[in-house]
Amino acid sequence: MKVESLLSFTCPVKMNSGNKVLEGLPFELAGLNAAKPLILASPNDTPPKAIKILLSAFGDSKMTFGLFDGIDEAEDLGTIEYLKNICQKDRYDALIALGGRAADAAKVLNMTVSYKLPDARLLTAETTINKPLGPLVVAITAGATGLETSSLAHFGNRVYRSEYLAPSLAVIDPRLAVSQDAAAMACSGLAAFARAVEAHGAVPENPFRRAYSFAAIRFILENLPAAVSNPGNRKAALAVANAAAMSGCALADGGNTGLHKIGQAFSGTGRGPAGMIMAMALPYMLNDYKVNGGFDLAALLHPLADDDTFAKTPESERADAATDIANRFVSGLQKTAGKALPRTLKETGLPGYLLEDLLETLDAGPDGARLCSVARRMWDGVSPDAKKG
Amino acid sequence: MARVREISSGRKPLKRAYVAMFLWFTGRAIQAAAKADNQVKSEFEALPENFTFSLGCLPDGPWMVVGKKNGVVKYLGGKLPEKQHVRLAIKNLDAGFLILSFQESTALATTRNRLVTDGEVPYALAVIRILDIVEVYLLPKIIASLAVKRYPKHWSVARKLKGRIAIYTRALLGL
Repeated sequence: MKVESLLSFTCPVKMNSGNKVLEGLPFELAGLNAAKPLILASPNDTPPKAIKILLSAFGDSKMTFGLFDGIDEAEDLGTIEYLKNICQKDRYDALIALGGRAADAAKVLNMTVSYKLPDARLLTAETTINKPLGPLVVAITAGATGLETSSLAHFGNRVYRSEYLAPSLAVIDPRLAVSQDAAAMACSGLAAFARAVEAHGAVPENPFRRAYSFAAIRFILENLPAAVSNPGNRKAALAVANAAAMSGCALADGGNTGLHKIGQAFSGTGRGPAGMIMAMALPYMLNDYKVNGGFDLAALLHPLADDDTFAKTPESERADAATDIANRFVSGLQKTAGKALPRTLKETGLPGYLLEDLLETLDAGPDGARLCSVARRMWDGVSPDAKKG
Repeated sequence: MARVREISSGRKPLKRAYVAMFLWFTGRAIQAAAKADNQVKSEFEALPENFTFSLGCLPDGPWMVVGKKNGVVKYLGGKLPEKQHVRLAIKNLDAGFLILSFQESTALATTRNRLVTDGEVPYALAVIRILDIVEVYLLPKIIASLAVKRYPKHWSVARKLKGRIAIYTRALLGL
């Protein structure tokens, strides 16, 4: 393994994963010097049962807490302003986010409350975040976005980025990780897979990042098919939720995030979860990396295959072997999930005008031209190695 | 728009009652075992005078406090003293229920980060050894094997039988 002369990696998230870890929350909050948390949940991506499980975990703790289960798709800064005033008036000293959407809102609220901003509506993507924020706990649920543990907050059409946005603690309990929805499970796992694949091959190599991405890829390969065929399988669902959490941590030092950008831009159109489109884009992105370089495809073979296969494969063939395994894995899941995981943008029902909006969003970044080319090829499923349009 | 609701954490009376009952009986059984079993007796003899330890659940109990005064081991009830040599605290009532209903052994619960120990490690280990011996006496083999790390193979039938009768009788009568 090569070691760069200078590397940095920050992931301040403590992870508690396993049976009955939710019940440990009062103890963990006491360790964070918090006694009165505010719980945020979204009715759209958190079933009422999950809220009930979380509330019952506080039983016998003698704590008082607030519950706001109205984080909606509109992602309005007015809601954050309302919550900020409540936090200040009722002296809530920690935030607990249940699910991905609530985690994004909680990060923005945490920023507003900790920095004592006069009005949350003044927040912009350029707002400087250079001081530690208050305690934030995220509870990973089925259909995790994977961004809960990251240092990113997507709220409305804004993206905030700072290592201080990452939560203090992530709890992954199998009771919250199981689901009835195989498609949501597949999308959550595929988003984690795509992010981890991109983080693992990113150059320059960072061994800390690779520790997270390696584990996330292996967890997904070994457990996602079982979790999709039976989303109530506690062991498999817990492993997928762990992989999602790890994929968020692997994003900590930036690196290549093309797939992540495509996924977020698509989920911003409201036509489906990011994981669906990231799985669709993966073969195109891997092919682009193969053609254009700037990505260590060969290194991907190790987490994707077993140790023996990696050792036996000549170095010159590793990139092709890795691409082949990743593509076959995604394609197998798409076949199992059927219409829930479309293979082209057209099949998602995305209207042409929204495609234009999507391309405009993608084009705004530094690697916009490349991402737009990928999105155009995904529209009607042109073969990944066809000439770029 | 939805509003923030302020909620107080509920209670878990059944789990609490089970854990309290278990700790109460175990406390009395330790007092009994200190008289009836030579190994427990010698463990306590190695501990300092006025040694006190507690086992229970955070944040609000129930607790079991056992102390040694003038060489005599006594169950001191469920109220935490101001000073104690060792405190074995289970992080929450649910974890306490998992451990004390033998769904998780003490060793497994420790690796799963469910316990906090305050005090000197050698003392804490002595307390764990005492608790293991008492559990072997109190529970049938099939359940005790779940509760302790290794079920003792070398104990004679006579030791188990005599010890069980003595400890149960003394614990029930509070002797």
